Order: sequence, then structure tokens, then C-alpha cells
Amino acid sequence: MKKLDKIDWGKIERFIGSLKFAVIVISLFTLGMIVGTFLESYYGTDFANRTIYKTIPFILIQFGMLLSIVYAAVLRLPPKRRLYGFYTIHSGLIIIGIGSLITYVAGIDGQITLAPNEPNRQVILTKDILKITYPTEGKQITNNLPFTAFPVSLNDKYENIAIKDYIPFAEGKFVWSEPINRYPENAQVHSSKYHFKNAFAEQDFYLTLHPEAGNDFQSSFSMGPLSITYYPEKIAHCFNTDNSSKIIIWNTQTAECYTPEEKSISVKMTSSKNRFIIVPNNNSFLTFFPDYSPYPMDLKLQSDENSIIRVFSKKLFEDKPSLFLFGNKAAFYSKDEHKWKLVDLFLKGKPAILPWMNAEISLTEHQERLVPYNLPISTIPIQKNGSLIKGDLRAIKLEIMEREYWVTNYSPLSLLIQGKKVIFEVTKESLTLPFELALTEFKMDKDPGTNNPSSYESFIKLFSDGITTSHHVFMNNPMKKSGYTFYQASYSQDAQGQYNSTLAVNVDQGRPLKYLGSLMLVFGAIWHYNLNKKNKKKSGVMP
Amino acid sequence: MKIISLILLFLIQSNLFGETYFCKPELEKLPILQGGRVKPLYVHAMETIKSLTGQSRVDDHSAVEAYCLLSLNGMGLPSQIKLDARIDHVDLIKFLDIEKGQHSIPYEQLLSKEDLIKSEMRMAQGMQDKSESYKKSISKLYGNLLLYKEIKNGENWLFANRIGNKIDWAPLTAFLTEEKVIAQKKLTPEDPFLPVLLKSKIDFDEISGKKYELELFYAKAGLASWSLVLTLLSLATLVLFKNFNITLIFASLSALTQLILVALRVTISGRAPITNMYETVLFSGFGSLLLALILGHLKKEKLFVYMGLGYNVCTLMMLNFANGMLTATISPLVPVLRDNFWLSTHVTTVILSYGALALSWVLANTVLIKRKIGKITKQEELNFADIIYTTLKWGTTMLAAGIILGGVWADYSWGRFWGWDPKETWSLIVLCVYITILHGRYTTWIKTDRFITVTAGAFLSVMMAWFGVNYILATGLHSYGFSEGGAIFLGTFFIVQIILIFITSTKFTKHIES
Repeated sequence: MKKLDKIDWGKIERFIGSLKFAVIVISLFTLGMIVGTFLESYYGTDFANRTIYKTIPFILIQFGMLLSIVYAAVLRLPPKRRLYGFYTIHSGLIIIGIGSLITYVAGIDGQITLAPNEPNRQVILTKDILKITYPTEGKQITNNLPFTAFPVSLNDKYENIAIKDYIPFAEGKFVWSEPINRYPENAQVHSSKYHFKNAFAEQDFYLTLHPEAGNDFQSSFSMGPLSITYYPEKIAHCFNTDNSSKIIIWNTQTAECYTPEEKSISVKMTSSKNRFIIVPNNNSFLTFFPDYSPYPMDLKLQSDENSIIRVFSKKLFEDKPSLFLFGNKAAFYSKDEHKWKLVDLFLKGKPAILPWMNAEISLTEHQERLVPYNLPISTIPIQKNGSLIKGDLRAIKLEIMEREYWVTNYSPLSLLIQGKKVIFEVTKESLTLPFELALTEFKMDKDPGTNNPSSYESFIKLFSDGITTSHHVFMNNPMKKSGYTFYQASYSQDAQGQYNSTLAVNVDQGRPLKYLGSLMLVFGAIWHYNLNKKNKKKSGVMP
Repeated sequence: MKIISLILLFLIQSNLFGETYFCKPELEKLPILQGGRVKPLYVHAMETIKSLTGQSRVDDHSAVEAYCLLSLNGMGLPSQIKLDARIDHVDLIKFLDIEKGQHSIPYEQLLSKEDLIKSEMRMAQGMQDKSESYKKSISKLYGNLLLYKEIKNGENWLFANRIGNKIDWAPLTAFLTEEKVIAQKKLTPEDPFLPVLLKSKIDFDEISGKKYELELFYAKAGLASWSLVLTLLSLATLVLFKNFNITLIFASLSALTQLILVALRVTISGRAPITNMYETVLFSGFGSLLLALILGHLKKEKLFVYMGLGYNVCTLMMLNFANGMLTATISPLVPVLRDNFWLSTHVTTVILSYGALALSWVLANTVLIKRKIGKITKQEELNFADIIYTTLKWGTTMLAAGIILGGVWADYSWGRFWGWDPKETWSLIVLCVYITILHGRYTTWIKTDRFITVTAGAFLSVMMAWFGVNYILATGLHSYGFSEGGAIFLGTFFIVQIILIFITSTKFTKHIES
């Protein structure tokens, strides 16, 4: 206490209320903003928020400004007529500050995406979380992730799950990783890396059959008009048989294949000249129309996409450039020779010449059982044309039963831990609305004669307590409901070409205060600077 | 199509047409739908020919004639017209095998390289080591090539085609049918083509009115050039004549001309005149001249008029000569800006505040120079500082109001008052910079001599908020943003201003003893 008495509080107050302190904090604030805008331009909005705008030091500077404003006014009391405008400005700023604080603490800011005629009540907020779900027990645990721009150790534990590191901005670095599960010796789970080259382009790509490979690695790939498909090594030889029907029958489980000619299965014709074959399978018979679908059809002409037996018609792939890869072999149709060719690809060997535009392909890597994987590595994000081109990956390292796992915002992780299924997701916090919304129509008008949108409009049905109401939301025309405000924010197109509408959702309790403060600020400024009749001398010395 | 070309050829052989067929000046009034708006053909032809060749004429032909002749190729009518593409990028010149020292290549020659240009453009987009300016140059060239092809195929020239009480837009090749020409030939045997084309205007006018013709007047009047002449004259009379009224007359005439210019743009586009760089520069120059005239009148101080004219010259110079950076084209707005109330209150206030701050910048620099060459008394300097202070107060108040209006608009249409968007943030930076100066003016840190220097420098923040956010921040620092028109202008401005401050402040005060 004695020490506190020694401090001259009056002096500190006078300093905080002084013009010099005001100049210092405003300058610091300005400097922070300048750096922030440049960071934003280079590294993206999120990075600038995490390094400047929404960090403690920057918020402290703003708090310092608020203190300066308060003390500047307090020190100039009791009221003087000359300073009425000044008091109004400063009170306005203080009120805006309080309003912003209320919004910061209690406000909600999120987005809801509505697909046509699908009711939704989940609002996606901005906070990053790690969600752990036990589907069998219906249990869900969420861990808040820190708002940081750089990697941190979380060192958190939940039951037998250790949550180790968090990388807010990461990029994938390719590695071959050990598979989590065991596979039989003859399982066809191989992966390869190829190098493709023609007169216009050169490209490396990975193809895999491994069930543990994430979304980044697929079994097919297309490059302009050329489509490339990756198949098990064991069925390559069937592409070499010169059977007249050009049909291959293939068991996806055993990776065995044969032609109808080999098993004397006859290819028949329907009355409308469509080819079909009937393949025996475990005491039953499957009917295929190979020129339409690789899957068997039932009596109602519905195709069964889960069937392990598939039929492949080489005829379908003779017109357009199609390349089939089987690890160390490649098959394609040569239009010049009018026949299918199967060529060998030797690991790091000479490239095989393909029959399209001097193209060639070579096998650069091959793994029988390892899984291709993009290991998250911390990076500084890069923004270009408004979106991140690098660093758009948030990743968390987990340790479970002495094994390391990565879970990212692009690839959730699903594991069996001591017989229990557990799902891990890096996602955003969400909020459930007390009512439900459905998009009935999304309308986009265009400028006449062009493809530029001139307006977006969402027609929305709102279901609340058994009452349905219709609303029309468009740019500059939000919808309000129980404190929530919904704004037309953006739109997207799904795989079927249907438009989904994204609405910004917002609850802002500080709004009235911010408006009041703003009004006071503007009127105060006019009063102080432009209406005050100052009896100053022409000397220019300011009062 | 073939038949009509035969008829045309027949007509040509009968010497009824010169080399320009029916490409006559009357065509410039025809309505055309392009870029999302209906405009007179004159405006569209001018824009396209300028975009293709960088010039407003092709040899002896006007833009409309050139556009028309090129389009006639689509009807099978050969023309002698030759358009050259202007190529400035060194790497692009190399890629196109253009001879050293040459900067242009005929479009016909480019057509034979179309596939090559296309694949080079695609390859360049994916390559890290190609500069951003090269990528932009080559995609602009490719875009121009497609435009050239579209015009040459007769597909770019759209005609109002009346179907019942509706207007449909049909390209030249579909609009100019054989039946129409034969029918017209019975009425006007000497020229059956032009009346058919002009009929589209009559039809359009009947249904949609003649409002678009205003744009023809606007495009031809050259009001921006007249304003520049008037403002320069006004400045000259300020220096040459003792009678201040002459200056006032010219200044008012210039302000009036600019008012008409602004009003025409408002009428044509149907919205507040502040939606692109061209319009904001125009409006800030006009607004600050008006503000200067009013302040000068209220405060009985001629200096305000000088400041207003000084800044007005700068903006009019930009409007007249910086075509690479500011395009006068009127185009439709992006959806988010389509709210005339907020657009006209928020943006107008901010742009006017920039204009007011620009007034302080003009005077501050004048004082800096005067001080350096030693033609200023202490008393004069204080007087100048006082006037600068007045403009700063006006500018800052308006800027604060403008930012808040922007916040309210953002809150109203996006649900957030503030989002640290670069444009918002920079406008707040400008406000903070000027507030710091206004506050600092009361302290001992910013005395009168420093106050003037600081005010001159503070305008850099306005330039950054106004141009820099669009020309430097938006393109991203890493993309060599400085290689383009806007960024070069801004960089030059920064360097010149900093050098000026540096030179003039080397020896601080140099007063005439009075």
C-alpha cells in the first residue's frame, strides 16, 4: 500500500488525458493499421486478424485510446461553453467504444448456407474448434483452438487421446506413410507417381488404390481432354487380350479378371440392338449392359453400384483419349493400329510414348502398401485475388496409443479406439437457431447481354413454432427474426448445378449505442470545428 | 448470306458506293447493347477501337467507320481496313517476333497465331517466374484478339430488332436479311441498306425512348477538356490581372462546366457519379473547387480560390491525360453498390473530404516552396497555417461523417459496422493521421513551420487510401503491382512529394525580416 501512495495518480491521469498521450496512442494505432493492411494484402484477411487486428496488443492500444478520450474529457471539467463540441465528440467516442465492447463480448457473427428446399438451422461461426464425436454413445466434445497465426503446442488430453500440436496455417508436404490397418498379402492397395509430358505441358501426379488415402489422392485424373484411370496391377493382362467382344469382366474384391470368351459367356443383343451379358455369381446371375454402365442392372433397370463384379467395355474408350494405368503397365487404344496396346513402364525407366500429341508418360515412384499422404507443415499463407493459394490448411497432431495422427479441416479422421468408433474434425464452431430456414428459390439477374450478375435474391421460408412465413432476402434488404439479422452474403453452385445461397447471420446488441455515439461524434465535430465562434487572433495561434 | 453478298457486290460494281460501302456518319446514333448497357454506336465504336488499337481513328477512318467496315467482313464484304494491336511489354514483343523498335502488329497477323497466343497465355498463368504484368498483357492481347474476331464476324454489332412490342438484340449478320434489303430497294433504290439499319433506331426509340442519345452529346462535347482550359485561364488571370473578378468568372464557368459533366453522367448512368476512379477524381476536383469558392466567399479570402483552382488543374489533367489509369467508360455497377441513397451519401462525403484535404495539400506545398525560395514573412506563414487549419477541420469532419456513413451502410447491408477491410482501414488511417495533426497542433510538437510540412506529407495517406488500396494493395505486393499505370502514378507522386518535403525542409525557416 505504501508504494501505491507514493505514486502520483494525479500526474498519471494528467498524462493519460494529455494531448501528447493522445498523439502517441493514435500514432501507434495508425501504425498498426498500416502494417495490418499490408499483411492482409500479402497473407490474407485471416492472417492479418491473427497477427494484428484481433490481437491483445492492438486491443490494448484501442483501450488506451479510450482511456485517453475519457481522461481528456474528465480533465477538462467542469464544463466550459467553448468545449461543448469537444465533450460531445469524446462522449460519442466513449459510447461507440462501449457499444463495440458489447458486440465483442456478446455479439454473434456467422454464416448459414441454404441448399434448395433443405431446412437448416446450423449457423457456422468464426471460432476454430476440434470436435471429437463418439457416434455410438452420441457424445460430442469440442475443444476451442487458440486464435494464433503460428504453430502452438496444445498439450491437452482427453481419455486416451493426447492433443499435441496445432498449426493454424499449413501446407501439405508429400510423404509415404505406414498404413493404419493391416491388409492381406495380395491386396491391391498400390500407389504410383507418374510424370506426364507433351508439347504444351508437363506434370507430375499421384494415383492410388489405397483405401486410407485422403481426398488429395484419387484413382483417376484428367488433363484437358485426356482422362487417366488407375486400376489394380492384376487386371492389366485383360486389357491385352484381343477378344472380339472387347468386354472385360472383373471382380473388384479378388482383382481377378477374365473375358466372356474365356468363360464362354455369350454376349447377346436386345431387340433394340443393345448388347448385354449375363454373368454367374455365387449361385445368382447378374445382368450387364456394358455399353451403358459397368454395374449390373436389376429387373427394374436400376444399377447396383455396390456390386463387386463389374463389366468393362473397351469400346467406350476408343474415341476419346483415355489412358489406363496399372502401376508398372499402361493401356490405351491406338487409332493408327486399330488395337489396344499394353506397354511396360519401368520404375525410373524410359518413358512410354502415347498416341496423342507427342505425349509420353513415365513411372517415377511406386509403392505396394505405403499410403500417399500430405503431411501438414507450418507455413505463412499467401493470398492472391482474394483467396488463399497457400496455407489454407488447419491441422492438429493427435497421439493415440503411442501412434501419431493428423486431422485437418480438409480430412477428418475416423478411428476405432478400444472398439469404440471416434471421429475427429477440425472445423468451425456452430450455433443452432431456435427456428429453421429453407431456401425455396435463388434468383440471380444479369446485366442485359452479359454474364455479370446484377443482383442475387433468396426466397426463404421460415419455420418457427409451427408457423411458416415467407421472406425475400437480397442485397441491402436483410431479414430480421428474434434478434438475428440475415443478409444475402454469397452463393455457390453444387455438383448438380443447383444454386445454394449463403446468408450472413448476425446478432449485435451494441448496435444502438454505436449509432448514438456516431451521431454524437459527427455533430460534435461540426460543433467544435465549424460552428464555434473562436475569438482567436489572426496570428494563427490556436486556442 | 451468300445471296446478300452477291447483291452487295452488284451494287458496289455499279459504283453507288465508295470504299466505305454504307458506313456513314449517320450510323453513330444507332443504339447498341454492349457491356450491359444500351449506348450510341459512336460510344461503343470509340471504346472498342481504342481498346483494340490504342487510338480513336484508324488511318483516315473514324472509329464508327472502322468498326462498321470491320463488321462488314462478316457479311462477306472485304474491306481495306487494317487494325494494328499495340504491344508494349518487352517479353510480349519478343514472343510475337516483332521487329526491334516496333510496337505494333496487325491483327490479321495475330489471327494466324491465335492458338499459339492462347497456349502461351495458359502456360504463363501457371508459371511463377513470369511477371504479373506479362500475364496481364498477354491475356489482354488475347481478349482483344477475340474481340477483333467477334467484330470481324459481324457478331459484335448488335441491332435493336423489334418483335411486337419488345426489343430483341440481333447481330448484323442476322439483322440485315435479304428480304429487308429487297423490300427497301423498292422504296429507295439508290441505297437500300442504310435505311434498313437506321430502322432499328426508329424501332428502339419508339419503344424505349431516346435517352441514350444524351450519351452521344456527352461523348462529343469534350467537357473535361473545356473545364481544363477554363481552370487554366482562371489560374492565369489570377497571376496576370489585378482584378480578381475575372478569375472568379472563369473559375465559376469551369465549375459550371464540371457540374454539367457530372450531371450528364448522373443522367446517363442513373446513379451517383462516384463509382469508379474516373468519377471520384472528377467529383473530388469539382467538389473542392465548389467548396473553395464557398469558403473563399464566407471567409473573404482569395487564397481558397487559388487552392481550389490548383487542385482542380491536377484532377482535370488526370481526367484528360491519364487514360490508361482512369477510364471514362460508364459501366453497370456490381450488385453490392446498387443503393443510390448510401452510394450518394457515403461515397460523396468521403470523396468531398478528400477534396477538402487536397486543398490543404495545395497550399501546404505552395508554402513549402515559397519558404524555400525565401519569399514569405512570419506573419504570412501564420496566416497560411490558419487557412490550412480551416480546410483540415472541414476535411476531417466530413471524413469522420463519411466513414461512419460507410459503417452504417456496411451494417445495413452486410451486418457488420466494421470489418478491417483495407478500404475501410485506410480511410480510418487517414482520419487518424489528420486527427493526430489536429491534436498535435495544440502541443509543442507540431509548431507552425512543422505543421505545414506535416500537412503536405499527410496527403500521402489520402492518396494511399484513394488509389493505393486499389492499385497496390488489391493486386498484392508480390505481383509486381508497381508495373502498372496506377501504381506508377502513385509511386511517382510519393517520390516527388517526399523529395519536395526533403528539399524544402533542409534549411527550415528562411523569413524576410519585416
